Amino acid sequence: MRSPLGGWPISFAAAAVCAIFVLSARAQSPVYKAPRTADGKPNLNGIWQAVNTANWDLQGHTAQASHILSLGAQGAEPGGVGVVEGGEIPYLREAFAQKQKNYANRFQDDPEIKCYQPGVPRATYLPFPFQIVQSKGVILISYEFANATRTIYMENAPDSPTDYWMGHSVGHWEGDTLVVSVTNLDDRTWFDRAGDYHSDALHVTERYTPISPDAMNYEATIEDPKVFSRPWKISLPLYKHLEKNARLMEFRCVEFVEDLIYGPYYKHPVVAN
Amino acid sequence: MRHGVLTSLAAVAALSAAALAAQTTAGAETTSAKKSWTVPRLADGHPDLQGIWTNATITPLERPGQFAGKATVSDAEAAKFEHQNNDNLYGDRRSADAERDRDHAYNALFFDRGTELARVDGVKRTSLIVDPPDGKIPPLTPEARNRMGNRVRNRFDSVQDRPLGERCILGFGSTSGPPMMPVLYNNNYQIVQTPAAIMILVEMVHDVRYIHMDRREHLPGSVRLWLGDSIGHWEGDTLVVDSTNFTDKTSFRGSSPNMHIVERFTRVENGTILYKWTIDDPESFTRPFSAEYPFRAAVGPIFEYACHEGNYAMPDILGGARAADAKQKN
Amino acid sequence: MRAKLAVLFAAAGLLAAGLPAWAHHAFAAEFDAKRPVHFTGTVTKVELINPHSWIHIDVKNTDGTVTNWMFEAGSPNVLLRRGFNKNTIAVGTEVVVDGYQSKDGSLRANGRDITLPNGQKLFLGSQGTGAPYEEKKEQQ
Repeated sequence: MRSPLGGWPISFAAAAVCAIFVLSARAQSPVYKAPRTADGKPNLNGIWQAVNTANWDLQGHTAQASHILSLGAQGAEPGGVGVVEGGEIPYLREAFAQKQKNYANRFQDDPEIKCYQPGVPRATYLPFPFQIVQSKGVILISYEFANATRTIYMENAPDSPTDYWMGHSVGHWEGDTLVVSVTNLDDRTWFDRAGDYHSDALHVTERYTPISPDAMNYEATIEDPKVFSRPWKISLPLYKHLEKNARLMEFRCVEFVEDLIYGPYYKHPVVAN
Repeated sequence: MRHGVLTSLAAVAALSAAALAAQTTAGAETTSAKKSWTVPRLADGHPDLQGIWTNATITPLERPGQFAGKATVSDAEAAKFEHQNNDNLYGDRRSADAERDRDHAYNALFFDRGTELARVDGVKRTSLIVDPPDGKIPPLTPEARNRMGNRVRNRFDSVQDRPLGERCILGFGSTSGPPMMPVLYNNNYQIVQTPAAIMILVEMVHDVRYIHMDRREHLPGSVRLWLGDSIGHWEGDTLVVDSTNFTDKTSFRGSSPNMHIVERFTRVENGTILYKWTIDDPESFTRPFSAEYPFRAAVGPIFEYACHEGNYAMPDILGGARAADAKQKN
Repeated sequence: MRAKLAVLFAAAGLLAAGLPAWAHHAFAAEFDAKRPVHFTGTVTKVELINPHSWIHIDVKNTDGTVTNWMFEAGSPNVLLRRGFNKNTIAVGTEVVVDGYQSKDGSLRANGRDITLPNGQKLFLGSQGTGAPYEEKKEQQ
């Protein structure tokens, strides 16, 4: 099912069908009521994935050629209308200069290249599926990319003694919406391949709202007074994998990046060109 | 500022003492407490295995020579072994010999292997392996010996020469397994359970094991996974997990990618899951073998173990070898 | 072949003696026992990261210049579980450190001991660290 791009487990056709279904479901019942778990909460269990180009650039962007000549169309960047509400990310002036610098160096500096854990919210819209395992006191989210993991504490959340690549997540329910407050995020992650970034003051508030049996809406409000002039929000649907044999595969990408990172230290050095 | 450090240290000492006390009392449950305890269950009627657990123990996988012929020991005999072991492991590890001194830089504060032999059915065990009865891994087949003999050791030409743990691809010493083995530290696991899937979050290298409860057949043999393909079912109150489809990149004590392992998880008393496993791999071992040891309730949370992101050691290790190469040339 | 098997069984023997055979990586490959270092300095950064923590220390040289050294310690998770946090060793704390320098000659060393000016030892190689086992010994 995967295309050579490696990141699209659901075909565009399937995604389109999902989208139509979502629209019609919305039209029929404005407030969708999700199936429940044994403890009466909306059941979010399953394997989910975003189907968009937010990982290339959160903001609207036009398709462009691959930066690696030999990859041709396979490596080209697809366009997208963007997932940022209002269209623009409200950078402080100096922070915007840093973003531009990141953009210029994006094919060297993006932490995704080194298989570092992606942080939040980027883990959600990487072109890889993730699995939610939902229990009463705790919700575990496991991401296929870099086998990154998050524990969302629904009860008895401990304090976080230090910062983490995947942050510290505390959740609660607001009606059918799972609301997660994410703090203690490591400042080395980016939001996308376009160099959108944050500082250690980042606070992300996520909202997962079921909108049909096979889709939910995902919102993330980004607050970081060191980088942005005001809070801003991304919004995108997540689709459930319906394949009978769906499961997360392993994308233990450390072994794919070792030559790139450590190659210069080899007896017969390997250096990226 | 200095005062702050000392206050923290005092707090740490107090915390440690409390944790230790908790550990000791959990090990010596009274009969009446056992009687009043019933297996907690989820809405689907199956035992609730959820929580944070540790398999830390100083019982070795294989039975040491001093305990030959003795699968269990009295608490008094155990105490002798524990003291000797703990003095070695947790005592002052500084040495006048520079190489020893350098190599023993990890010390008590970083170790978390427990201080006691594993207790099963109220009795202390001298090895994790219970079958064969001598507590030893059965002899390797000639094929497996060949395979093991061909493995690269002590070479530093490229990162691929280094062990998977050092490369941060998996936790060292089969922490994620299967089988999930106790190692020197971070022996912590979190189980999250739903009717269709049970997840075991392994602290080392933030690994997650998925146990598929809604599938009866293993994946096709062409699909190979680092942690294997695990499918589970309930036999009474015991979770039985069957795993196959391993890669040729991992090996448990000489096992092959065609290893078949069955794990059994049973809540036997308050705060204890009894964990048993049997490995059957005729390509590698001359007979199947089994182990059992407890997973005990632990104080959370699980902390992120972002290994690859902070692996400053790898350039040092390879760089050290290149410095040695250069010296040899000159 | 026989020699390789002997190595294998020697490793098994270590286990049988109840000694841990593994840690994330052996310091022998990384650090040079022939280059012991001993410094007094000021903590500039504490990285409670895995697989091993790193403590950055500014060391004043005799000519007045300052060199920043990095000292490698163990996995922080055990420390966090015992109540440490990112502020436990504050930036600016004065410490005495000893260890062994890296084989590639970079300004990195494995930490054997970190000692505060009052003699209190912090969590590297020796006794008196407040680790649970020592607590237990004292109680006995």
